[in-house]
Amino acid sequence: MSAVTRLSTLLIAGAVVAGLLVAHAPHAAADDPLTVYTVSYPLAYFAERIGGDHVKVTFPAPPDVDPAYWMPDANTIAGYQGADVILLNGAGYADWVEKTALSQFRLVDTAAGFADVLIELDDIVTHSHGPTGEHSHEGTLAFTTWLDFRLAVLQAGAVEEALSKRRPALAKELDANFEELKADLQAIDDAISEITASIEELPLVMSHPVYQYFTRRYGLNAVSVHWEPDVVPDAPQWLEFEELLQSHPAEWMIWEGEPLEASVAKLAAAGVGSTVFDPCGNRPEEGDFLAVMNENVENLRAAYED
Amino acid sequence: MISVRGLEFKYEGGEFHLTMPEFGVERGEKVAVIGPSGSGKTTLLNLLAGILSPVAGTITVAGTEVSALGDTERRDFRITTIGFVFQDFELLDYLTVTDNILLPYRITSALALDRDVRARATALAGEMGISDLVQRHPSELSQGEKQRAAICRALLPRPRLILADEATGNLDPVNKTHILDLLFRSVDHHEATLLAVTHDHELLDRFDRVADFKDFHAWGDA
Amino acid sequence: MIDNLYLAWQYVRFNRAKYWTLVACITLVAFLPIALELLLDESEKQLLSRAVTTPLVIGAKGSSLDLVMNSLYFGDEVPEIITMGAAQDVAETSLALPIPVYVRFRARGHPIVGTTVDYFDFRGLDVADGRMIAVLGDCVLGATAAQRLGVGVGDGVVSSPETVFDLAGVYPLRMNIVGVLERTHTSDDLGIFVDLKTAWIMQGLVHGHQDLTTVEDQQLILTEEEGNVVGSPKVFEFTEITQENLDSFHFHGDEAAAPITAVIAVPVDEKSGTILRGRYLTPEAVHQIIVPKEVIDGLLTNIFRIKNVLDAVILVVGLATVLAMILVFALSLRLRRREIDTIFRIGCGRATITRLLAAEIGIIVVSSAVLIGALAAAVARYDHALVRMLFIR
Repeated sequence: MSAVTRLSTLLIAGAVVAGLLVAHAPHAAADDPLTVYTVSYPLAYFAERIGGDHVKVTFPAPPDVDPAYWMPDANTIAGYQGADVILLNGAGYADWVEKTALSQFRLVDTAAGFADVLIELDDIVTHSHGPTGEHSHEGTLAFTTWLDFRLAVLQAGAVEEALSKRRPALAKELDANFEELKADLQAIDDAISEITASIEELPLVMSHPVYQYFTRRYGLNAVSVHWEPDVVPDAPQWLEFEELLQSHPAEWMIWEGEPLEASVAKLAAAGVGSTVFDPCGNRPEEGDFLAVMNENVENLRAAYED
Repeated sequence: MISVRGLEFKYEGGEFHLTMPEFGVERGEKVAVIGPSGSGKTTLLNLLAGILSPVAGTITVAGTEVSALGDTERRDFRITTIGFVFQDFELLDYLTVTDNILLPYRITSALALDRDVRARATALAGEMGISDLVQRHPSELSQGEKQRAAICRALLPRPRLILADEATGNLDPVNKTHILDLLFRSVDHHEATLLAVTHDHELLDRFDRVADFKDFHAWGDA
Repeated sequence: MIDNLYLAWQYVRFNRAKYWTLVACITLVAFLPIALELLLDESEKQLLSRAVTTPLVIGAKGSSLDLVMNSLYFGDEVPEIITMGAAQDVAETSLALPIPVYVRFRARGHPIVGTTVDYFDFRGLDVADGRMIAVLGDCVLGATAAQRLGVGVGDGVVSSPETVFDLAGVYPLRMNIVGVLERTHTSDDLGIFVDLKTAWIMQGLVHGHQDLTTVEDQQLILTEEEGNVVGSPKVFEFTEITQENLDSFHFHGDEAAAPITAVIAVPVDEKSGTILRGRYLTPEAVHQIIVPKEVIDGLLTNIFRIKNVLDAVILVVGLATVLAMILVFALSLRLRRREIDTIFRIGCGRATITRLLAAEIGIIVVSSAVLIGALAAAVARYDHALVRMLFIR
C-alpha cells in the first residue's frame, strides 16, 4: 500500500470516527425533542409537565391494562429501545423491563433516590435454590410510590434531573417547570394531609393493596382487601370482610376505580360508604393526572366530612 | 530439373573441398547418388536445397538459380519445391501422424493450409497405407510406418524434386523394397524428380541412373 | 501465429509433466507474494477499519491485544472478566456512552455477543430480516452466522457448554432467532447477538424455574422453612425461554457485579475521551482503557515486519526459480536441437522457430497467470475468513 493510499485510508477512517462520534453521542442534537418513554402514566405526566415542547413523551400501555403487570409486545419494546430516556417508577413496578433488552444506560429509576423508604411487603414468600441462597421475586416491594405526594415530588425531581442531564442548555426552563409541578403536587399533599388530619384514626378499608405509601404518608388507619371494582365480592370475600369489620369498624371503603352498584349497595347495607381514590397508574379517559388527583381529594374530603 | 555448373564448395575453416564441374538431372528422372562415406553426398543435397551456398559456380533447380537467392527466398523455394526424406525419418514426436504430414504448412507463410490440403494429406496417407495410423504419435509406429509418414510429409507440398538421404538406410530388407516402391510410385504419380543418396547397391538397378561421387573431385571428410 | 500456438500447444500437451512442473513452479512463486499481499491488505482493512471505528475499550488489565481481539473481532481468547460496574462507572461520568460487551460463550463455533441495544446503533447494524432483540432469549444473527448455521428467523440456536463436563455453570440455552442482520463485511457478520441478561442466563445468573410457592409437586421442595421454600435439585432449569416461562426469569444478585468482558466507550467529544482516558491512568485504576487503533497499529507493524522478511525470502526463491527455469529451457532447447534442425531443413525460418519457442513459453506463462488469477480470486473471495483464521483466532 502506498503512502498516499495509506494516508487517505486514515483520513477516511478519521472522518468515519468523527461521524460516528457525532451520530452516537449519548446526547443527540440539542434541537430535537428528547424521546421519552415511561412505564406508568404519572411519570408520563411529570415528563410532559417538566419537558414541555422539548420532550416527546410516549406511554404506550393500552388503556385497559394495569401498567404494573403489563407486558409490551416486540414492536412496543422496539419503541422503548429507541427512546433517549426510559423513565421507570422503580420499586419493582413494571418488572417486564427486567426481561427485555433495554439499554441500562437509558433507564432512569425515579425511585432510586429514596430506596431506603420503600415499603417491603411481608406477605410474600421468598424461596432459595442454587448457590445464592434465599431471594425473593417481584412484588416484594409496594410500588404505588406516587400516592405519597412527597415521594411523587422526588420522582418528578428525578425526571427533571434526567432530562436536564441530557439537555443541559434547558436546565433553567426545566427547573422552572418542575417547580410549578412541585407546587401542584404539594398542594395535593397539603390538601390530603389537612383532610386526613381532621379525623385521626378513621378506620378505612382499601379495596386493593395499592395504598401502602398513601396510608403511611397520611397516617391512615387502613386495612386492605383484594376486591376489584368491576367484580361483586363473592361469599368468602364478604365473609372475610364481615369478620374484618368486627376488629376494624370501617365506615368507608376506598376503591381504585368506580365500583359496581351492587357492591356499593351491599357495602351500604353494612354501613360502609364507598368512595374512589384512583391511583391513576394508566392514562385516564378524561382529564390528566392533576385533575384525577383533585377529584380524588374531593372524594376523600366528602368521605371525611360525612 | 537440376543443373550444376562449375560448382566449388568448402566448409568454412574445414578441409573438405568439393568441385563439381557439371552435373545434371532431367525432369522425372530417378537418380541414385553413391559414394563412400564423407565424400560429400549429403553436402550436395544441402547445396541443391539452398541450405549451403557454393563458393563458386551456379546451381539451378526447377528453373531457379538457387545460389542467387536471398535467405528468405531460398527458404520459400525449399519448402515449396523440394521434399526431404531422411534416414532417421525426423518426425516430430509430439505431433500425430496427421500433424507431422501437415507440418510444412504450419511453419511457413509460403504455403496455405486449407481444406484441400487436408484432403490431399488424407489421400496421401491412404496411398501410403497408413490411414489407420494418422491419429497416432511416431513413438507408436514401426520404422516402415514412420518412413511412410515422412514420405507423405515430403510429398504433400507437391515438390518438383525429392531429395532422399539414405531413405531406406534404417529399414529391414522387406521394408526397403516396399518403401522404395512407394517412393517411386509417388514420384511418378506426382511427376516429381528423385535424387536419392543410398548405400544399398542391390537397389541401384531400379534407378534410372547412378551418379558415383568418385567422378567428382572431393578432398577431406565431409 | 495460430500455427505457432498450435504446434507449441501440441508440444506442451505431449510433455505434460514438464509443463505442469513449470506452471506449478511459476504459480507458486508468483502466487505466494500476491496472496500475502492480498491477505495483509485485507487484514489491514479489516482490523484497522474496525479499530478506528471503536474509539475506546475498557477491560481488565492484561493483554490489550486479547481485549481488542475479543471485543472487536470476537476472537476465541476470552480476556479476564470484569463487571457491569465498569460500564456503570463510565455512564456516571457522562463523558461517554458505555456499551458493555460479554463475548464469552459460543454456539456451534459462532461467538455469542451479549450487549445492549446501543451496540446496534453504534455499529449501524440493521436487521435485514425479522426484528431486533426485544425480550430475554431473543437473538439476532450476523449474516454469515445465519448462512453458515443454515438458520433464519423463527429458528433456534443452542449455546454450547463451555466444557463437556461443565455441570454447574453454563446451561445450554436455546435462543430464539428473531432477526438476521444486514451484511456488514465485519466481524459482526459472524456474531450471535443477545441482550446481556440473556448471556447471563447462560451462566445461571438469571434463571427461570417453576414457582415454588405455588407448586403442587411436593417432590420439588426440599424443606419449607418459615417463609422460605427450598427447592430440591428436581427443580427444572429452563433451557429455553418461552412466552409462558419468561415471567419466571429473574436476576440473582447485584447487576453491577454481573460479568462482562469489556466496555466499548463512545466519548461525547474528543475532550471527554481524553478526560475519560485520564481516569484510568491512576495507579488505583483496576481496569485499563485502550485505543483499539493503537493496539492494531502495533499488531500491523509486527505483521508487516514479518511480511518484509517473507518478501525477501520469496524474492530469493523467485530468483532461484527464474534461474532454474532458464536452465530448463536451455536444456530443452538442446534436446530439441535435432527437431529444430529438421524443421529448418524443411524450410522453416529462424524467426518462426523463435516464435514457436516463444509461444511455448507464452503458454506456460499464461497458464500460470490464469492459475494465479484463479487462486488470487479464491483468496480474495475468502480473504475475510482467511484473515480471521490467520490473525484473529
